[in-house]
Formats: sequence, C-alpha cells, structure tokens
Amino acid sequence: MASIAQEFTKGFWKEIPPFRLVLGICAALAVTKSLVDGFGMGIALIFVLVCSNIIISMLRKVIPKKVRLACYIVIIATFVVIVELITQAYVYSLYEALGIFIPLIVVNCIILGRAEAFASKKSVLRSALDGLGIGAGYTLALVFLGALREILGRGTLFAGSQYVINLFGPSFKPYAFMVEAPGAFVCLGLLLGIMNVLGD
Amino acid sequence: MEYVVLVITAILIKNILLAEYLGNCPFIGTSKKMSTAIGMGMAVIFTIALAGALTWAIQKYALNPLNLGYLQTIVFILVIAALVQLVEFFLKKSVPPLYKALGIFLPLITTNCAVLGIAVLNIRRDYNFLEMLVFSIAGSTGFSLALILMTGIRERYEITDIPRPLQGTAISLITAGLMAMAFLGFSGVDTALKALQ
Amino acid sequence: MKEYIEYIKMIVVLSTISAVCGFGLAAISAFTKERIEEQKLLNVEGPTVKKILAGSTNDLIKDRKEIVINKQKYIVFIGKKNGAPWALAYTTDGTGFGGEMSVMIGFDLINDTLAGVGITSHKETPGVGSRVTEDSFTKTFKDKGLNAVFKIKADGGVIDAVTGATVSSRGVCGAVQKGVPLYQDIKKQVLK
Repeated sequence: MASIAQEFTKGFWKEIPPFRLVLGICAALAVTKSLVDGFGMGIALIFVLVCSNIIISMLRKVIPKKVRLACYIVIIATFVVIVELITQAYVYSLYEALGIFIPLIVVNCIILGRAEAFASKKSVLRSALDGLGIGAGYTLALVFLGALREILGRGTLFAGSQYVINLFGPSFKPYAFMVEAPGAFVCLGLLLGIMNVLGD
Repeated sequence: MEYVVLVITAILIKNILLAEYLGNCPFIGTSKKMSTAIGMGMAVIFTIALAGALTWAIQKYALNPLNLGYLQTIVFILVIAALVQLVEFFLKKSVPPLYKALGIFLPLITTNCAVLGIAVLNIRRDYNFLEMLVFSIAGSTGFSLALILMTGIRERYEITDIPRPLQGTAISLITAGLMAMAFLGFSGVDTALKALQ
Repeated sequence: MKEYIEYIKMIVVLSTISAVCGFGLAAISAFTKERIEEQKLLNVEGPTVKKILAGSTNDLIKDRKEIVINKQKYIVFIGKKNGAPWALAYTTDGTGFGGEMSVMIGFDLINDTLAGVGITSHKETPGVGSRVTEDSFTKTFKDKGLNAVFKIKADGGVIDAVTGATVSSRGVCGAVQKGVPLYQDIKKQVLK
C-alpha cells in the first residue's frame, strides 16, 4: 500500500502524463502553442480531475457497476461545463485560446482513466491527492512543452499575459514550425525519447 | 464548389488529426496493424456521421430553443456514448459480419475526441445541415486516411533499426509530425479553388 | 426479484446524479450569465465599438441598452461625451460571399450622419473578401448622410467597392441599408 504522500508525488515522475501514462496527447499537442495556454489548460484539468475524483470516490459504494461509466461521464462533464462557464466569464482570452479543447476535457482519457482505475476503488483523500498529483504532473508537462515551443516558435515567453518577454530581440527569426502542428508532434516525440533515456 | 472546398479542406488542409490535433489517442493506439486501422477508420466514419447529425439536430431543435446551450458538452457526450452502445447492439443483431469487423472498436470510439470534437465544431462553425453532413463525413475520412497512412509507415518499423529510447510512442509521434509537415503542403489549395469560381 | 431491485437502483442513481448535476449547472449558468454576455460583447464587439465611437468618454460596453423594434432585439451602444450622448451604434447583418456577416453601424446623434461602420464577424475569404473589414473600405461610409444611397457604385450607389470583392462589399452595403431605416426609432427610444 503506497503511502499517502506517494499518491501525490507519483504524478510528477513515476506516472507523469502524457509521458509515462501515454494519455491526453491531443490536449498536450493542441494547447501548448504558448506557456500561458498550456498552464491554463493544466489548471482546468486539475480542477476537473480533483473534483470528479472526490465525487466519484464518495459515491463509489452507491454507483451500481453496470452504469458506472455513464455516471462517471455525467459527473466529469458537469465539472467540465463549470470550467467552461467560469473561464468564459472571468478569463475570456483563455477561453478563446483553448477553444474546443475545453469541452474536450470530457474525453481526455486521463480523467476517465483515473476515475476507473483509482477513484472508484480508493478513499476520498487518496483520490483527491491522486487527482492533484497526476493533474500537477500533466500541468508541468504542458508548461514545459508550451515554453519550449513558444521560445523557439515565437521567441517570446508568457505571450498572452501582460508579462510578455521578448527573448531574442527584433533580429530573431521565429522558428514557426514549432508552433505549427508538425512541431508539436515532433517536439512531444523527442521529449518522450529523452524521458525514456533519463528513466532507464 | 463550396462543398468541394469544404471536403478538400477537411481531409487534406485542416486534417482533423494532423492539423487540428483531434483523436490522437486512438491514432497512436490502433495504428499498429493494417486490418485494425481499416476497421477503426470505417467505424469512426460511421459513428461520426451519425453522431454529427444527431447532435446537430439536438442543438438546433432542443438546446437552442430552450436556452440550454450551456448543457451542450454534457448532452453531446451522453448522446455519443448512448449512440455507440446502440450501434453496437444493432450491428450485433442485424449485421453480424459488420459487427465482427467493427465491434471491438466501437467502445473505444466514445472517448475518441474526434467524435465530440467534430460535433462541437459543427455547432461552433454554424454549419447548416448539408455543410454539417459534408464536414462530418469528410473530417472523419481525413482521420481514417491519416490513420491508414500512419499504419502503412508503422508496419515498416518492424524491419527498421530504431534507437531504443524512441521505440514505441515516441517514434510514432515524430512520424506523425513528418506526416503533418507533408500535409502542410496542401495549404493554399483552398484559396486557389475559391479563386477559380 | 433481486435483479429487479438492481435495475431500479441503477435508474434511481443515474437519474439522481443527472438531476443534481443539471440543477447545479443551471444555478452556475444563471450566476455567470450576465458576466459572460458582457465578456462576449467586450471581446467580439468591443474593439469595433471603440473604433466607431472613438472619442467617447464613457464605458461603452456598460452603457448599452436593449431595444426591441419589430420584435427584433438590438443591443445599442451609446457613446457619450462629457455625460451627454453624442452617438450610438448597433449591429445588423448582411450576406457576403462566404455567408452571413455582422456589421456594426455607428450614428452621429447631433448631425444625424454615419459615425462609422465596422465588421464584427464574417466568413469572407481571407485576403480577398476579408479586405472589406479594412479601414480603407469602412471609412467611405463615415460622415455620409442618412439619405445617401448605400450601394456600391456599380449598383448606382455612392460606395466604392473593394476591387475583387464586389460580393463582399455588396454584403456590407446591404447590412447598412438594413440598419439605417431603424435609426430614427432607436434614437427616439434611446434619448427617451
């Protein structure tokens, strides 16, 4: 039985998505055009993951086995809609930047995966920590990928917030490939390779 | 002509997988064997066309008039999940050979974000019925095309010496990146076609 | 019998969860609705309003009014200088080359002329039809009297169409033609 602390920390290395747990690739590719977007997506995902993990764990003894997936989907979708409404009301620029990938959090396999593999079996506290850890690990990965793509593809950091930093000055020719789709795939693929080397 | 542009855009220029980043989990997961890829591709086209039409109708005739637009996400995902179950049930009873071919892929489709993605895009882009249908079919065909092409490439990994850390998902992603780059070559075709009119 | 109870339990649990979620969402949606509407206006129409009613000293998004004419709702933005309204703007629609476009028309309340025109959303071809959104085209509407013929010159009007984007230019003109006749009614209701 893993200690309570381990439920939280495993998300940062041992089971960090999307590298170790190869889940949630779509969002990881789509919203990492900049660091700020990646971070925003990460926070949205943490919120949904922690909340749905808590509720599902609380109801784990009530939900009949046969309809469990339908129940999970309703619960997850509810929190996703909450995120949708809140970002739209309070951080509209992020809502625009993330576009359809906010509703698509529903089908992010990380969340349903954690619900099925973890929250439906473990206590509320453990489930919450598990959600927080995995979510934070995913956020870390998104921020890292976002920063990498933004630095190379635009030559800036924190674009989309008021603290934009221009890193290389006006003579820098942005490596636009990195913010386009091919850059996203290649970048994630290479990072995965590097993770594999480090992990061995 | 308008629809030709829409089809070409959805399949080649803004490929749902390689340019819009939708449906990558099954893309990486089911592109190992050609027969699997073809089965998955067909199942996806079938489901997306059905789900697209159904969700579009629900949005136009139920959610919009009732001012329940905020329930879109929750209703769509439930409709898709129920639809997938129904299709599975229907195929099993009435078209067993098709069920044999597609059956095992159907449960996977619920969490394929291309399905929900296309359903939501249909609404956000404000398509009319025909545009919605064309986009749903063309978009899912684009997905299947990319999936089948990818499988063709991945089948050759077996006889290739790939550096060990890159084996598996990593090299698949890099391959997808190179494919996406090739697909970038189509950009501009739509403008040229529109200018032809 | 046991099976039967299980079925009932399944239905009860699933519908209870759905009902709770539905009510929760309805509450949150009601709570955020106003703010979302304001944010949408601010981000979609805000930049255009600010341009058309440039020189206003009030908060244009906050000082808006909803006015109903012929059962159609119009959101009217009111520009004020030193507390007194000097201009208003509202949106109508036209049909361009790629489909529907939304055109915001601003009116000068003092001289009864057009204060400006801006396109808030459109589906025109980028680089071709989309050029009607540029200042060089929209500024030709500015300061025109309300009796001017808002058609492109090829159709016998006073507006220079953008070269190569005749249909799109016609779409903008159509929206303006649709919007101008409403002005007197809206002005009356706003100043009331």
